[in-house]
Amino acid sequence: MKTHKKTRLSPAMILFEFRTITGNPYIHIFGVGMPVLMSVIIAIVMRSEIPDSSALNAAVTGMYLGIGTMIPLATILMGYSATYSQELEKGIPQRMSLFGIPPIATIINRIISEGIFLLMAFVLYFAVGFLVLEINPPVLSGFLYYALCILVLGVISFLLAHSIASFFQKFGVTYCISMILYFGVMIVSGMMGVNYEMLPSPVQMVSRLLPTTYITKDFADVWIGKDYNFMPLLQAFLFTGALSGLLLFISLKKNGRKQFS
Amino acid sequence: MQLTIEKLTVKYGSDIALNITEPIRFCEGDRVGIIGSNGAGKTTLIKSILGLVNYSGTIRSDLKPEEIATHMQFNEYTDAMPCRYIMEAILQTKIANSPQLKELISYFEFEDCLRKKYTKLSGGQKQRFTIILVMMQDAPLTFYDEVTSGLDFETRQKLMEKLINWYSDKSSSLCIVSHYYEELEQMANKLLILDKGKVIDYGQKDALFKKYCGHSVIIFESSPENQVLVEKYHKLSSPSHLIAISLKDEAEELELSKLLLTANINYKRSNNDIEIMYSNAKNAYYKETRRYENS
Repeated sequence: MKTHKKTRLSPAMILFEFRTITGNPYIHIFGVGMPVLMSVIIAIVMRSEIPDSSALNAAVTGMYLGIGTMIPLATILMGYSATYSQELEKGIPQRMSLFGIPPIATIINRIISEGIFLLMAFVLYFAVGFLVLEINPPVLSGFLYYALCILVLGVISFLLAHSIASFFQKFGVTYCISMILYFGVMIVSGMMGVNYEMLPSPVQMVSRLLPTTYITKDFADVWIGKDYNFMPLLQAFLFTGALSGLLLFISLKKNGRKQFS
Repeated sequence: MQLTIEKLTVKYGSDIALNITEPIRFCEGDRVGIIGSNGAGKTTLIKSILGLVNYSGTIRSDLKPEEIATHMQFNEYTDAMPCRYIMEAILQTKIANSPQLKELISYFEFEDCLRKKYTKLSGGQKQRFTIILVMMQDAPLTFYDEVTSGLDFETRQKLMEKLINWYSDKSSSLCIVSHYYEELEQMANKLLILDKGKVIDYGQKDALFKKYCGHSVIIFESSPENQVLVEKYHKLSSPSHLIAISLKDEAEELELSKLLLTANINYKRSNNDIEIMYSNAKNAYYKETRRYENS
């Protein structure tokens, strides 16, 4: 069996990567358990503060959609960077590449398997949202916009996580940086109790560069089909996407195998 | 398959880890043993060929680095799942669907390990796991870097026996790094001798033996009496507790054998002892280098 002939984009490799993701218990705790728990606690607090039921539903929905961005951030930006940096310390990616699995194929397989995990996590997340917290039902376009935003956010988180781990090759530094980014993004995007409007203007400038800011503050309206100007959100995605793509390109160049003359 | 190395230099910081000045060629069917003490540059050479370290110089081949199979000194895998799933993902086949894989698993008695996680395997089981994966690559060139290191004598013997049998009727090329010279005596037909990043010599094992040791060697315990007894013979460099005599032909070998038998001295005769050959090749190399530097 000449395994080097294969491109290695295959269901078997996707399943392998999926098993690697689900084999990390912290992903389930921080990536799924935490967002569900946080949103339930915040919703309980909101219920005691907002007496009007339609206003409460709108506020809970906005909060819920915003907290949902924690799932790709926690499972991928934090979780994947931690797992991958540990693998790098042990030389596992190099070992896999010596079996003829190209790094780019690994990246694609991992993005797909992280996507499958995100889908499952969101099914659970929204089951709690609709059944327990009674968030507003979406219009089709609102649901699709949200799903697309989460998917793109997941890919960007992946590219960042992979690049950070590849640059530093050490779990400690990678985990530290991804934690700072994770909490930094949550604070600056207005997810930690201080809304975008309450942030100092220099911080708001940074907030406007992050797609999570727009998802947190505006998606309650998009969700129910209200008119929305997508341009700032699109620009934020383009900026973060270009930045993470560039970092990935540099990290692949830095760690690539030298070819024969 | 052909692979040629020309003027290869690898530096780690300011240290030169490997400096190959004369061309080295690995051809189809070669079984090359790479020997040398720690820090000689053996693993660095493999890593250069695999494109894992930066080097200056030229490595030419009709293969791509990705087409070379490698058993590295240290091999690690994810601990998130049992070995069976890792194996099936890497090899892109279900074990049940691959008679060749089933044969290898059975050949290496790995059936019971398939449901275990990699970290739960013993040293020998870990080595066998990677060997199965490497063998299934069926590559034109395969590297085995210290495949038996850290294993007990019995496991080592058993593993080598299986490797030798497996490759006995195959035409693929092998490069084997080992500190256990008896393994190379069985497996290698060529030797690449490295020391402190330099190539001491490279060639057919038998030719190198003749070059540095003669027709054959007789090795026995060193003592003042034994030293006197074999005074007239050509002594080779050997560990201090042994005397190694280089014999130029069969007649001389018979003569010394008789002498040792008469004196009731136990001896070992060899025409492929890599340890003695390695030690004498190194001595000859540095002697020549010193002579060149002095002149």
